[in-house]
Amino acid sequence: MQIKKILLLGILCACVIFTSAQNRLSGVSGQIKSATGEPIPGATIKIQKTTSGTFSDENGNFRITNIKAGNYHIQVTAIGFVTIKKEITVSENQESKLNFSLNASSEDMETVNVIGRTANQQVNRQAFNVTSIDAKKLHNSTLDISHALDRVSGVRVREAGGLGSRMDFSLNGFTGRQVKFFIDGVPMDNFGSSFQINNIPINLAQRVEVYKGVVPVWLGSDALGGAINIVTDNTTKSYADISYSYGSFNTHKTAINVGYTSPSGFKVQLNAFQNYSDNDYKVTTDVASFDGRYFRNQVVKRFNDTYHNETIIVSAGLINKSFADQLMFGLTAGKNYAEVQTGARMVSVFGDWHRRGSILMPTVKYQKKDLFTKGLDLRINGNFNFGTEQNIDTVYRRYNWFQEYKEYPGAGSERERSMYKFRNNNGLATANLTYTINERHSLSLNNVYNSFNRKGSDELFPQNQNYEQPRKNSKNVLGLGYKFSASEKWNTSVFAKQFYQSNKYAQSYNPSGNWGDVAYLQQENSYSKTGYGIATTYFIVPNFQLKASYEKSYRLPETDELFGDLLNLEGNISLKPEQSNNYNLGFSYQAQVNQIHRFSFDGNVMYRDAKDFIRPQLNNNQTKQVMGNLADVTNLGFESEVRYSYKQLFTAGVNMTYQNLRNNTRFEQGQTMESPLYKDRIPNMPYLFGNADASLFFNNVGKKGNTLTLGYNVLYVHAYYLSWPSQGTSDTKYDIPRQWMQDVNAVYTLGGGKYNIGLECKNLVNNRIYDNFSLQKPGRAFYAKVRYFFSKNRS
Amino acid sequence: MKTRYLLPFLSLSLVALFAGCDKELDSSEIDDVDTELTGATKYIISATPIGTTGIADYLLTTNSLDSGMVTTQGNGIEQDGSYRYYLTHKNRFFSLLYGQGNPGAVTTYRLDATGKLNKLTNFQTETVQLFAPVKDDIFIAKIPRSGNEFSSFYRIDARKYQIVGEKQVNIVKLAGNGERAHFTWATQVGDKLFAPYMSIKGAAPDVFGTAYPDSSWVAVYSYPDLTLEKVIKDNRTSYIGAYFVNGLVEIENGDAYAFSYASATNSGTPSSKNPSAVIRINKGTTEFDKSYFFNVEELSGGYHMAGQSYLGMGKFVVQMYAQPNSLAGVARKFAIVDVINKTFKWVTGVPTDITRTTTINNYAPKDGRTGYIGITTASEGSYVYVFDASIAVAKKGLNVVGGTITAINALQY
Repeated sequence: MQIKKILLLGILCACVIFTSAQNRLSGVSGQIKSATGEPIPGATIKIQKTTSGTFSDENGNFRITNIKAGNYHIQVTAIGFVTIKKEITVSENQESKLNFSLNASSEDMETVNVIGRTANQQVNRQAFNVTSIDAKKLHNSTLDISHALDRVSGVRVREAGGLGSRMDFSLNGFTGRQVKFFIDGVPMDNFGSSFQINNIPINLAQRVEVYKGVVPVWLGSDALGGAINIVTDNTTKSYADISYSYGSFNTHKTAINVGYTSPSGFKVQLNAFQNYSDNDYKVTTDVASFDGRYFRNQVVKRFNDTYHNETIIVSAGLINKSFADQLMFGLTAGKNYAEVQTGARMVSVFGDWHRRGSILMPTVKYQKKDLFTKGLDLRINGNFNFGTEQNIDTVYRRYNWFQEYKEYPGAGSERERSMYKFRNNNGLATANLTYTINERHSLSLNNVYNSFNRKGSDELFPQNQNYEQPRKNSKNVLGLGYKFSASEKWNTSVFAKQFYQSNKYAQSYNPSGNWGDVAYLQQENSYSKTGYGIATTYFIVPNFQLKASYEKSYRLPETDELFGDLLNLEGNISLKPEQSNNYNLGFSYQAQVNQIHRFSFDGNVMYRDAKDFIRPQLNNNQTKQVMGNLADVTNLGFESEVRYSYKQLFTAGVNMTYQNLRNNTRFEQGQTMESPLYKDRIPNMPYLFGNADASLFFNNVGKKGNTLTLGYNVLYVHAYYLSWPSQGTSDTKYDIPRQWMQDVNAVYTLGGGKYNIGLECKNLVNNRIYDNFSLQKPGRAFYAKVRYFFSKNRS
Repeated sequence: MKTRYLLPFLSLSLVALFAGCDKELDSSEIDDVDTELTGATKYIISATPIGTTGIADYLLTTNSLDSGMVTTQGNGIEQDGSYRYYLTHKNRFFSLLYGQGNPGAVTTYRLDATGKLNKLTNFQTETVQLFAPVKDDIFIAKIPRSGNEFSSFYRIDARKYQIVGEKQVNIVKLAGNGERAHFTWATQVGDKLFAPYMSIKGAAPDVFGTAYPDSSWVAVYSYPDLTLEKVIKDNRTSYIGAYFVNGLVEIENGDAYAFSYASATNSGTPSSKNPSAVIRINKGTTEFDKSYFFNVEELSGGYHMAGQSYLGMGKFVVQMYAQPNSLAGVARKFAIVDVINKTFKWVTGVPTDITRTTTINNYAPKDGRTGYIGITTASEGSYVYVFDASIAVAKKGLNVVGGTITAINALQY
């Protein structure tokens, strides 16, 4: 593994040396803006009669290097704008500046931009199967990031309860850690419970990219089934975004994002957010009295489910210096408190058990374009989490849903007596090197290294050696990618990834056979795997894009899966890496009629052939979940989305996902007879679900410039069985019933977007919504949000 | 213009609203009155499909255990989760969830006049580590293996489906040797509750190990007030029964026979120097009969017993570990023992690639001859084997397709 890494680095270095040895050539750079001054991302810049050209980045900037001195005609085309051509003289060893201002085209039939929540031309132009959520459009809503993701086709977010509760993320049938989360390209694996997608406010993000299946190499890491990348505001401007919301179940949320950049290049950013909720919503459940009798289908309030977290992220550093485009040092600090209401089932109810977590994470970020030579970009990130997690279960009581309890003598607990406090000592380093040889060829090299060393103790059992035994793990993922952009119409990426993991743990045994004698056998296991893939896209016409991708991917077991989370997840040290062959085929098409009616159509077909699939299952006594390698699973899935918008006044969309997850394990371990569950649908997994939404926009309401938006969203999840569909008489089977959840909202914007008031009603008809093993989620709830937003561009 | 689009928007929303409403839930009570029995019997097979996830048990019903086939494919009453245990008492069927420390739901069933198994009700109990029909009750006990020193006893009325009595018992005090008394099972003997226990260290990492592998203990409790009357002890074999395995049976004449599998361990290694044997408590006494000792290990050529099923008239089918002088493996051999006449005979006709057998949950009509035990093999799947004690032969009976047999019970209708 080490050798391969060195080899790859060597190859890349050779390329670098080779190209920099050539004569230094000239270039041209500039910015593309609309006539109204807005930067235009994704515009095509082409130097005529040469092969050189590029696309503008998210700020409209572009740069073309390695051209010879001389006179050129540069042509800029962008969807929705009139094509423009300019002449420029490029002199030896100089980078000429040239800015473009494009007029909006009035008659251009290709101008299609369906208004809605998913629109980001540049991201969607990639060969990967990716959906980008424009988070800015949701900044006035009370959603957190997980709920925004729940509206994307192929995505299901399953929660165990209300605000802050444990959630399972599923993307095209991949669940849990098979899907990786990133923030600005940095894996979020080690952030602990205080900074997760169920508590990060949407206002922290500018957009959220959802990569389904094949994951680009620059994101690195061992994402088996896809990746979510949260892109935060990174523009060099001063801004303030302050919001507060209040709602049902005594829920308070505050988010403050402010940033300032001095003219000399000093930048400081502060993000602070807070969430609080009693989560005392009503559930319908059988309630046991202490003589064991059940009162059926009682409506009771949750009572031990308070959640709150407070997190602050500060970073400061320098931008646009000769030695760094960006050098930022930061600190993320936060804590959370979560009461535990139930076990894996509603029947296990707790009244005092709770847990606490904290995050204390210094970070460093370095970014430099054109390092040593033009086109060589380096990005380095590092962080270390000193945060702790603690599980507190010391009250020997048995509660029921009527909030009655019975107290017992002695040192007992509600489940497992514990005040265990641990620190995972997680470290992360990522490095990304990309080299753009020319307009057509680029290389990228990415390395992600993770370390984990869990240390903990329990003041209740100071002698318990078990907790002092090693639980160490290190993981490295190295990726090398090559992108070939044959033309404006066609581009292809190929890549290979090397996965390595080593785990250290201990097994207890009795060396002498004498009472009380304990010794520990140090165990170590490691894996090394190689994955690879290809992604390609072709534009038949500019509005009709085809995409195809394939990846052989691996995912290494996560530390929580190996060592447990000491809450509802039990450890399983014998987990193997899971692997999958992912195939994707998709299209996207945009159309419009008379600039009034705009449509977009997206469709994807995917096939997954996964082995040693890591899935949650209930442990032997049904009280906790434990991850297991369910041998083989296949999934043939479809997803589609249709959107429509009428001028700037109305938009509506609907998406649907179907996934056919099948058990492909023919022989269970130790059996010579074919498994009765072979080819059966994987149970306890939603397989048909969709979203629909509609919004109406009213301009100049109350006062000129103020806008009112009315929105509606509905979620549908088809019923699914908790156990194997082929087994048992259908009317006796346990299932998660079909779910309909409807939300409505209104947003009123004043002062040109500076002041915003949002009102929201979730689960409008107060339906009973379940996600996991009959754990019920909140009924009808109301939320209000006020937000102040200010930004000043300094260019 | 705006209102033109507002109307269809609103009407669409309304349609969606009504389409998306949940139905009301039923919260009615269940009535359970006795009906005239026709004298017919239905057998209830509990089966678990072999797999690694999403596994539930299924209850299958059949008129005969001697032949035929039942399947879990599209058939059977699904149970809420696997790792359940089953028993019948007072002509009702109880399905208990093993919940280790957490409350567990018990689901009860009965047969209707046509012999169809119907769900009656759910009730909640604590963790089920042992359960036994005692008088009109189901007696259960929650037995902590470490930490908390109190075992909780519960009496559940088998027709009221609720807890009617409860008692806390200090098991460290009961053991009196520094270890913990861990009840293996409980049996009604006469009008008392006899609860054999094993002595365990109860401390990680050797929770089930003991420094006292060569004794047998039975705690005697009055019933229904559950007062400890006596602990009877013997030093000729090891503890009676095993974790989740019954080892004490009262036969027709009122004598109780106690089976020791001599399976005590220390740090995972067998440590009893005494043989696997049967000892006796005579009717009306609370002492082991010093004159009776049935050394099964010696008669079998060094094999340990692993479980027993009573067939009536002093005859038992005993399950034996597959290798002599070993407590390893899931495979079993079978033998017929007559505890009154102290005879031992190996059973023929049993397969060798056994992956699972039913232990506490099998069925015998108590005719002194016939027993039904579920056996799952790697190559042929699951069958109910019919044991004939008179000739010591077992043969394949009912074929259970798709699952491992976990219990065989019978109800009348």
